[in-house]
Amino acid sequence: MSLVLEGFLNTVALTLLSFCGALVVGGLVAVLRIVPVPVLRGAGAVYVEVWRNVPLLAWLVLFVFGLPEVGVTMPLFWTAFTAIALYEAAFVAEALRSGVHAVASGQGEAARALGLTVRQSLRHVILPQAVKNVVQPLANIAIALTMATALAGVVGVVDMTRAAQRINLEIAQPLLVFTGVGLCYLVMAAGIGFGARVLERRLA
Amino acid sequence: MGRLFVAALLLFVAGCSGGAESVPGGSKIDALLAKAPVYAGQVTPGSAVDRIRKRGELLIGGSQDAPLLSQLDPISGELTGFDAYLGKLLAQYIVGKPSTELLTATSETREPLLANGTVDVILQTYTITPARRERVSFAGPYYRSGQAIAVRKGTSGVSKPADLAGKTVIVGANTPGVTAVQDAAPTAKIVEFGSDPECVTALKQGRGDAYVQDQAILVADASKDPELELVGEPFTEDPYGIGIKHGDTEFTAFVDGWLREIGKSGLWQEVWRQTIGTVVTGEAPAPPAIAS
Repeated sequence: MSLVLEGFLNTVALTLLSFCGALVVGGLVAVLRIVPVPVLRGAGAVYVEVWRNVPLLAWLVLFVFGLPEVGVTMPLFWTAFTAIALYEAAFVAEALRSGVHAVASGQGEAARALGLTVRQSLRHVILPQAVKNVVQPLANIAIALTMATALAGVVGVVDMTRAAQRINLEIAQPLLVFTGVGLCYLVMAAGIGFGARVLERRLA
Repeated sequence: MGRLFVAALLLFVAGCSGGAESVPGGSKIDALLAKAPVYAGQVTPGSAVDRIRKRGELLIGGSQDAPLLSQLDPISGELTGFDAYLGKLLAQYIVGKPSTELLTATSETREPLLANGTVDVILQTYTITPARRERVSFAGPYYRSGQAIAVRKGTSGVSKPADLAGKTVIVGANTPGVTAVQDAAPTAKIVEFGSDPECVTALKQGRGDAYVQDQAILVADASKDPELELVGEPFTEDPYGIGIKHGDTEFTAFVDGWLREIGKSGLWQEVWRQTIGTVVTGEAPAPPAIAS
């Protein structure tokens, strides 16, 4: 039973931490992509294209086995966290960017006409309106991220899926074990979806 | 680019088709097949043997990535190893030709694959355990293996299974090593990686203090890698069985009879020499006794 709990807690922790990490990094990348400085825009675009166009499993294997070769050895959980957060950040950045673009362009022009700086217009005019546009896309990413944490089990992290496989090895009842695990993921994903609806209503 | 892609695709398809027909002559399996028996007795209509004969091929649930046991050679498209060759020989025994189709099974899918009849047999280092006997029938055991311990050369403090207590131990995901470590040293922290090369890399990078795996695989690893060292002898006895649909006692007895026959004729030992015997020194062991 302790194995089930350990797996479940690791999946929850990995999901929450990776998503927070993805929000921070993705937020920074989204800012890079919308500021009117070509070099920064380019850097943001490169980040997004590099990270989202390589499969997460490849990133995980690269991070877990590649980083120690260059002298960086982190615990497996934190290695997986880093890879998942940086990967999902690319998707978060795109969701945020499209949220910003969905704000009518007249809003930005009006802010500029009033003499607000880029930073001020983002903070006081654009972002407050963009936030409610991005709640559902971000919830989608969070749910995808929840499922993606199962890949960490392949590189040594004892997540919920890995724990289930270990238990199944003992009791040989895959349908029972994996239905149970599936339900756990379902509850987590449904929780995210519910939270997103509440948040959206508040912001509307 | 397009041509490269087509070439890669062809390679992939060749790898998937896997039948004996695609195997070029002169391979190890041909020599074994030359000595392989073919069943000549009565076949009950509607039995598993009857169905396999009518179909003309044996459907096997197994692996493509287990060195020495069941590994797909990406160039020849041939499945090599102890389990793989036994599968060909069993097909020869039933059908009269070595026609097999391998479906990749995993520890999650083995029992359902047998129960719903997707495969005829599972040949995949499938350790016979009381819990599994409740959902699967086993022919055999056809092989007795043992889990052994490998460490980085020069590691001190690990010389027997009990020394693993409190240490971080690397094992192959979903292998018998997982349960072996849990039983031998319950306080050991288990870290699983998907494949043997990943486990070896992880051990060398210090992700764990020891690596527990089937002795034959560890011997093969250590023979290629001077940084690895095996400590002590195997500490478990894993009887591998051929998984059969639960309750099919007729087919189980049939496969048991075949195993006895190839054990007596020396063919089993020949398969061992061609596969596991290429890395484990010494003479072929006696095939495991099969309870009647």
